[in-house]
Amino acid sequence: MEPDEIFRSIADVDGLKRGQYTPNNQGKYILDTNPSWPETVVNGLYVSDIRARIEEARRAVLAGQKSPLYYHMARRQMNTAILAKTVGMTVFRVKRHLRPEIFSKLKPSILDRYAHALVVSQEELKSV
Amino acid sequence: MTTELITKETLANGRTYIHRTSAHCETGVTSALFRDKGLDISEPMIFGIGSGIFFGHLPFIKQTGLPVSTFRSIPGLVFKKAAKRLGVKVFRKRFRNQQKGMDELRRVIRTGQIVAVTTNIYWLSFFPRRYRFNFSGHNFIVLYENENGFRISDPALLEYTTDCSTHDMERARFARGPMEARGLMYYPLSVNPDHDIRKACITGMKDSCKQMLKIPIPLFGVKGMRYLAKKVIKWPDKLGYVEACRQLAHILRLQEEMGTGGAGFRFMYAAFLQEAAELFGSEELAELSQEMTAIGDIWREFAVVSARIIKQRGQSEETFAKVGGLMLICAGREEQLFKDLDKVARKLKA
Repeated sequence: MEPDEIFRSIADVDGLKRGQYTPNNQGKYILDTNPSWPETVVNGLYVSDIRARIEEARRAVLAGQKSPLYYHMARRQMNTAILAKTVGMTVFRVKRHLRPEIFSKLKPSILDRYAHALVVSQEELKSV
Repeated sequence: MTTELITKETLANGRTYIHRTSAHCETGVTSALFRDKGLDISEPMIFGIGSGIFFGHLPFIKQTGLPVSTFRSIPGLVFKKAAKRLGVKVFRKRFRNQQKGMDELRRVIRTGQIVAVTTNIYWLSFFPRRYRFNFSGHNFIVLYENENGFRISDPALLEYTTDCSTHDMERARFARGPMEARGLMYYPLSVNPDHDIRKACITGMKDSCKQMLKIPIPLFGVKGMRYLAKKVIKWPDKLGYVEACRQLAHILRLQEEMGTGGAGFRFMYAAFLQEAAELFGSEELAELSQEMTAIGDIWREFAVVSARIIKQRGQSEETFAKVGGLMLICAGREEQLFKDLDKVARKLKA
């Protein structure tokens, strides 16, 4: 399979222009701004990886294993360590809030902190 | 095929800023900052003088749970080294307090000085959503303030200047997580008028050779490449096929994405060697530049073979042994190249 075909089949990424150095006909290096296929491949892989992780999180929430906070955290490409730093809580506390039964009892003030950190409204934060 | 796309902007004090597209954010930003101060220097030149080329495998630093392999020196180091070697005085500051960080930025751009800021790419909404990854360490230049927030020039990602809202700017500059920028902003204060670009080039080359060959830890430089290559060969047995593919994809991502200018900065370094060859009139440097291009092509082949493996999940005839073998070839040739470069750089006269 040609490199070109591989990237077309691997990724549905539109051609975002990024600079890369390539020698021209005379062997002199110039900055070319056509998207390069390896970059497109890896970008496509990463995008699909993130999507899969968000989908997995959504399923876990719908199945009642995790609180909606887990989904919103995945959506913002965060993990518990980053989220804990952003809201200014301990990782232990954030992990506890990922349990649905504990999340449902949270005070509005705590929810507000999460909503602010994840840039969603409080209503959105409670749903997926 | 386009060489350079240029957009012009007028700054707060009436001066003109020229936006040029570049391959990598840090070198592109540094080049733009120096050009603004009247030191006309290209992006590969900055990359070479700042000794940006490197290799390191860092199994103890994880990004989305996967070990990091880097093809460049630590973020921020290229700017520091290039500034020092070209005699540029710089201002560089992080902030504990968000408000102070934003106030200082506003104060400086009001004087007409352009400022580079380090941001988390996830929060930059001027950029297509699908390309926004949680990665703190993207640099761009703030030009002036306007009704939408800030006018910015992002040499690595965009071909034109654009607006960035105040909210985005605050979130992106002060995002928490690994490699926090903590509102880092930097700009050159003054340029030494009688800087010696030839001397800077020689220092940069020698330093690169030292980084690639002489670090006595087997994770860095050419030794790091060999270490990683041997690990790659063992991955399918050790981790299972699916996990091995994930890890390989991560190496590929660090090599080709993150604005490397192609083949993990190898093409950018070849461009630097070519420019240096013209500067010194040295035939040897021109040959080394061609050798670097050839090495870059092998890295590209490594990427092609890896992509095939990842795509076809076991049905392809390509193996992890072949991928590791290609990496070992790169290691061998780069070792020879940097040994030669060291000899050549010592002979050059400033």
